[in-house]
Amino acid sequence: MTVPIHLRHDETFVLNLGPQHPATHGVLRVKLTMDGEYIVKAEPVLGYIHRMHEKMAECGTFAQFMPNTARMDYLHALAFNHGWALVVEKAAGIEVPERAEYIRVITVELNRIASHLLWWAAFLLDLGGFTPLLYAFDDREKIIDLLERVTGSRLTYCYMRFGGVYNDIDEEFITGTRDFIKRLRGRMPRLYHDLVTHNIILIKRIKDIGIISAEQCRRYGATGPVARGSGINYDIRKNEPYSVYPEFDFDVPVFDEGDSMARYMVRMHEMEQSMRIIEQALDKLPDGPVMGKSPKVLKPEAGYYYSAVETARGSLGHRLVCDGGKNPYKLKLRSPTFSNLSLYGEVAEGMLLADALAFMGSLDLVIPEIDR
Amino acid sequence: MGEENVPSSIVQFAQLDSLLNLGRANSLWPMTFGLACCAIEMMCTGGSRYDISRFGAEVFRPSPRQSDVMIVAGTINKKLELAVKTLYDQMPEPKWVIAMGNCAISGGPFKVKENYNVVEGADKLFPVDVYIPGCPPRPEALLEGIMTLEEKITGKRRWPRVDPG
Amino acid sequence: MDMREKIRVALAELFPESAPLVHLEGEGDQEVPPRESGVLVTDFTKHGSHLDVLCRPDQVVPVAHIMDREGFFLEAIAGVDWLDKQQFEVLYDYNRLGGEHCRVMVRTRVPRNEPVVPTISAIFPAADWHERETFDFYGIHFQDHPNLIRILLPEDADFHPLCKDYMP
Repeated sequence: MTVPIHLRHDETFVLNLGPQHPATHGVLRVKLTMDGEYIVKAEPVLGYIHRMHEKMAECGTFAQFMPNTARMDYLHALAFNHGWALVVEKAAGIEVPERAEYIRVITVELNRIASHLLWWAAFLLDLGGFTPLLYAFDDREKIIDLLERVTGSRLTYCYMRFGGVYNDIDEEFITGTRDFIKRLRGRMPRLYHDLVTHNIILIKRIKDIGIISAEQCRRYGATGPVARGSGINYDIRKNEPYSVYPEFDFDVPVFDEGDSMARYMVRMHEMEQSMRIIEQALDKLPDGPVMGKSPKVLKPEAGYYYSAVETARGSLGHRLVCDGGKNPYKLKLRSPTFSNLSLYGEVAEGMLLADALAFMGSLDLVIPEIDR
Repeated sequence: MGEENVPSSIVQFAQLDSLLNLGRANSLWPMTFGLACCAIEMMCTGGSRYDISRFGAEVFRPSPRQSDVMIVAGTINKKLELAVKTLYDQMPEPKWVIAMGNCAISGGPFKVKENYNVVEGADKLFPVDVYIPGCPPRPEALLEGIMTLEEKITGKRRWPRVDPG
Repeated sequence: MDMREKIRVALAELFPESAPLVHLEGEGDQEVPPRESGVLVTDFTKHGSHLDVLCRPDQVVPVAHIMDREGFFLEAIAGVDWLDKQQFEVLYDYNRLGGEHCRVMVRTRVPRNEPVVPTISAIFPAADWHERETFDFYGIHFQDHPNLIRILLPEDADFHPLCKDYMP
């Protein structure tokens, strides 16, 4: 609970929450100016995992960039694949067959559940509980097994191609996914909600911590569960639909309080909604090819293109500038966590250090996505 | 025979040294140094399916002063290389380094002509004992890397090598 | 489209001298007319944005005021290096959080040897980090920015990597 106190700005010291820290999710450094246990100023320092993705996009062809997309946000790599495939298909006018669209949606939503499970495990690890990590990883391994059958990788998927996906799904994947959904729905009430969500220690640690107002979200460009936890009803799958999302009936969870508990509940409900989408997609799955026609050497016509997809962390945008050649002339990746983290400095002022870490965990940061 | 980072002394107790090495090899305490994607596979190895604690290594210490082995899991950057070197120097002897993943071995997918920011391999900064290839390596590969390190420390391998085919 | 028309009309006040509007919609290869500045309506399904605004560098701040007034948020700022024309281009992407959907792209060009653009971080705090990143990658200087230092590269780096003539 943030207690309003009089911060003594002349009696401060600087504490370095360094790049190597068990609770920063990757290599993030935060320079904290502290007055005792209270934070006077928090300044994130980035760049410790900057891996030159935009330069590599300019120096290679369109297809050569697909493996890079998975390494940015490795927890929801299929959504990053999807975003890149969407923008190039838009620019080059490539059609995607319907079965491929359904497979894309099923695999992206499975990956979203896996990403939220890992967020949940890491968040509770930051707050000091180790057991939820073991339960969440158990479920996550089941998802990884399913996706590995179809894509070949466990973590950094390079599954989508321009025009569809490269491998079809089989009966065993479909029955395995239905069994997994039944299993997770059975485990949710006791293991996830009774043990953790209704736990008095968790409630005391994250309720009313890190309150972000809707206006702050707009001014800093925060999207995803961070915005939906502050009352903003914005989900690209509903507001700017792409692929076959208009065919499915699902809700977008929105909570108004704006504190870490609201963001926590948004993500827990999103897992249930993803399961609904997967079930509907499996029921409606059409037959047909999984790969459309695309030219061997892609040379989209010159112009400015943008596409946005909804990842587990927010709205991912690809701003592509083409000049008619076989390499992208410029690719700007609008990463959701970059904008979500930019409001950390303003909101963490006056917080206790332990609360600031709980707040950082509730923002769901993946640092290689920020640094690209 | 494996090599050890133990400073030699005038008096050697052969049986005691091999007993100490057996103890060190079977209770390696890694430092939490997950930088990028390989860190997630390291966390999966610590989970209950690929249980790293069977091999004595589940106690991930955040501080370098309390750890034996640094598992470099991820890409090292020009901005980060001083911090990595400092962490290595702060670890007390005997210490070992496992380079996990292609980025830590040689820069991985980022070793390209236009590379301006990635250090091409952890062994440009300090000596590495075990290299585990993969992008990211499977948790079983990390376990094999721990077993190889144990073999390097003690000179013997406790679990039989699986013969493919 | 209602929101698109509303924004087009609001922005057209800033460009009184521009030619009559051309709609780049529908099928066929339409040539983009050469223009110094002005508002262009683009095909959303092909290009991903509803409006394409080309403005002079000194008009960036008035455009940002109009977008803020209409309730948009700044999604991203990108730089582009047009080496053959010896110009840098700065792209601003604006979007709406909920309600009727409208995406606006604002572009401005500056000479390559002296790239100076006024900052919009007083209106949108999101621009703070985005402008630092554009400065880091291209060397474009944003006037009156509160803290224009490098963000992703090491502080002592002396090159701007995404320029087209840079190769390590």
